[in-house]
Amino acid sequence: MPNDLVVYTVVHQPRRVKLPAQPIPEGISAEDLEKCIFDERINRFYFEKVSRTCYLPAITMFKSMLEKGFKLSIGFSFSFIRQAEMWGQDVLQGFKELVSHPNVELVCVEPYHSFIFLFDIEMFIERMQWARNYLEKTFGKKVNVTDTTEMYLSNDVYFALNKAGFTGVLMDGRPWVMGWRDPTHLYNHADKSLKVLTRHYQLSDDVGYRFSNTGWSGWPLLANSYAHWLKEAGGDFVFIGWDFETFGEHHREDSGIFWFMGSFPEELSWRNINCLTISEAIEKYKNTTYDLPLPEFGSTWAGSGGMEFFLGNSAQLAIYQLMHNLLSKARLTNKPELLDIALWLLQSDNLHLIQWYGKYGDEAEVSAYFTPKEWWHLGPDRIIWEQQQVYKNVIQALDYHVS
Amino acid sequence: MPSPALFKITPENTEYVILSFEGPDQQYSQAGGLGVRVAELAQALAEQGFKTNVIFVGDPNLRAQETLFDGKLVLNRWCQWISKYYPVGVYQGENEKLYDFNETVPWFVMDSIVRPAASEGRLVVIMGEEWHTASTIMNISDLLHYHGLRDKVLIFWNANHTMSFHRVDWSRLNYVSTITTVSKYMKHYMWGMGVNPMVIPNGIPERFFEKVPSSSLAKFKKDFNGDFVLFKVGRWDPDKRWNMAVESAALLKKMGQKVLLIVRGGKEPYEGEVIHNAKRLGLVVKDIETQERTIEGCLKAMKEALPADVLNLKFFVSEELLRLFFCASDAVLANSGKEPFGLVGLEVMAAGGVPITGSSGEDYVIPFQNALVLETDDPKEIVGHLLFLKNNSEEVARIRKEARSSARYFVWDEVIKNFVNKLEYLAFAKNIDVAKSVEIASR
Repeated sequence: MPNDLVVYTVVHQPRRVKLPAQPIPEGISAEDLEKCIFDERINRFYFEKVSRTCYLPAITMFKSMLEKGFKLSIGFSFSFIRQAEMWGQDVLQGFKELVSHPNVELVCVEPYHSFIFLFDIEMFIERMQWARNYLEKTFGKKVNVTDTTEMYLSNDVYFALNKAGFTGVLMDGRPWVMGWRDPTHLYNHADKSLKVLTRHYQLSDDVGYRFSNTGWSGWPLLANSYAHWLKEAGGDFVFIGWDFETFGEHHREDSGIFWFMGSFPEELSWRNINCLTISEAIEKYKNTTYDLPLPEFGSTWAGSGGMEFFLGNSAQLAIYQLMHNLLSKARLTNKPELLDIALWLLQSDNLHLIQWYGKYGDEAEVSAYFTPKEWWHLGPDRIIWEQQQVYKNVIQALDYHVS
Repeated sequence: MPSPALFKITPENTEYVILSFEGPDQQYSQAGGLGVRVAELAQALAEQGFKTNVIFVGDPNLRAQETLFDGKLVLNRWCQWISKYYPVGVYQGENEKLYDFNETVPWFVMDSIVRPAASEGRLVVIMGEEWHTASTIMNISDLLHYHGLRDKVLIFWNANHTMSFHRVDWSRLNYVSTITTVSKYMKHYMWGMGVNPMVIPNGIPERFFEKVPSSSLAKFKKDFNGDFVLFKVGRWDPDKRWNMAVESAALLKKMGQKVLLIVRGGKEPYEGEVIHNAKRLGLVVKDIETQERTIEGCLKAMKEALPADVLNLKFFVSEELLRLFFCASDAVLANSGKEPFGLVGLEVMAAGGVPITGSSGEDYVIPFQNALVLETDDPKEIVGHLLFLKNNSEEVARIRKEARSSARYFVWDEVIKNFVNKLEYLAFAKNIDVAKSVEIASR
């Protein structure tokens, strides 16, 4: 019967590409190339929408929860921070205030929300070190533990993050990874110092996915029931992970999500469940860790827990292949600003947003939710074609820059 | 009971937006007649007191936005960040510019023009020119509709010719805008596209009526004194029926007449075929090149090339020299087989010349009253008209006078008056209620 709870959320907004693909003039500068590739109008629209429905009210909600003893670990993609700097200084300020609370721990994530670790593990280490420094500078707080992108973890990525000097890493506690183990303990691997926290995916998804599903047997979920389920979970502590956008965006305000969270700290306290940050949990349980074999095929917190959510259809595989080609081409230019653009185009959202391809019915509808509505007038096949065209156009545009 | 009045369009309650690829920047943005039309129409509207925004693919080296005529005319040079990679001109990098134009102009029109105008209770009239702006017009309409502003504007899309008609989504364009064109010929042609455009003729500026100095006229008559002095200007294009023109000159020569055909074409390769044909028919062709800019200098260079049957001008011909050719020639061969409007014929009339036009889009001509009109592509028909002119000097004087007077109906101020009257009808037909704008736009 666990007495401790660790709650983690990650804040991210994708940098969406422009569809249909914009033709690119020959000899274009990196600055103008970015204008051709990324749809900053749509990005701003969604950022401002999510700010209204989620970021601002949820910051207020969490601030109030912190005052009641709640603790939160939170990660930010640079993709989000960049947009907040441009279009939401009030949001960024709100997050800075939230992070400055002693009950909040700042967590590192892959800055562009990319799968760079699948392309170049050394560069991944550099990117994570860059992100850690950037987050520390932005929020004025030390960063010790890390997530990756979509909570991806595999054997090689674990060793990379250990080399990067982090003390803790997050992983989804799927049965195919955990085997006979429970996700409610602290784990280590190969006697390395980097500790692994495994997300309790069922309890996490009760809130993250199912909360507003009126067809779910647990609906309507109340804070007292949920706190009770946490208490009944077994093990040392429960590690819960959510998208920050769960609050007000994935589940709208009228779903009752803010009301649910508002009464959550009292329900935890009434059941003697203590809140810990990730580092506090590592400190408390470091002497009772268990060995966890890590998968060679990476696990994520999306879909059924593998990479099939991102590489599960032919359209995703085509984009993934183009990502490789683009990165290679950008490297041939020897221009850091062009390499940076290629890294942006490795953003995992470019795979996530076409997860619906080849699917039908409810399954397609759920995944299509994340695809910008502005794209749908093109129709499914043209979305796929134009997205590939974006990559092809950029690869061709780099011709001029390769000496 | 008094008759209800139509909503009266005035500079106080209405402003204009003209969208076009070509525009007023002579070096970069003018490739054909469209840029000139846009520049002159915009200037005429501004001079009438209407706030007018022109959004066009402007010179990347000039200011992005320029205000003229006491703030009445605003030039918005679009796509400059793309144009800097395409220094040759407006149509270089056409697809790249087209994408940017279609995607970004609608937001600018809504946020910077329509929204402020609507909040002040002013009507915005948006006019798109040519196929390049068809998608922009549709995007503007959709965007304004989405934001509850569609009934604060009247949207037009104008076809000046038939180029790239296959790229236009006619049913959608027809649904979101009032389609216009420049002549009845175009109107009937466009029936084939399933649309019924409103005709708003092209216009000419007042300066085209300036008198040709009598000294220049006398000098021209003295230096070029054949039986028939003819002039033809236009692109080297089969539609302009260049061969018909040179064949008529050859026919006159064969008849023992002293003929001089002065031609000014463009840079098109079709010139080779026409000149070859002229030489084959026994005409002596001389190319005239000079750096001279004065009328006297140009005429001198031409005179030095005589004797010749065809003078092929390869130098810059100023508007002033053009008017001299229009006025001083026995006839100007504006004999195109297919002409959406035929601006040259109208310019000839304004200069007091005699145009021999084709019979497609030239709504302004009345045969033997203010011009001569061809019904066929037979060069003998041109010869017949020329012989008529040669033998009826009183008729010629009357036609020249009538031509100038008819052309006056087509100065921009008159064209705009015509347009505004149609706007008032459309505002009525489409239930545009500008007075309501304040309340709705400020919601």
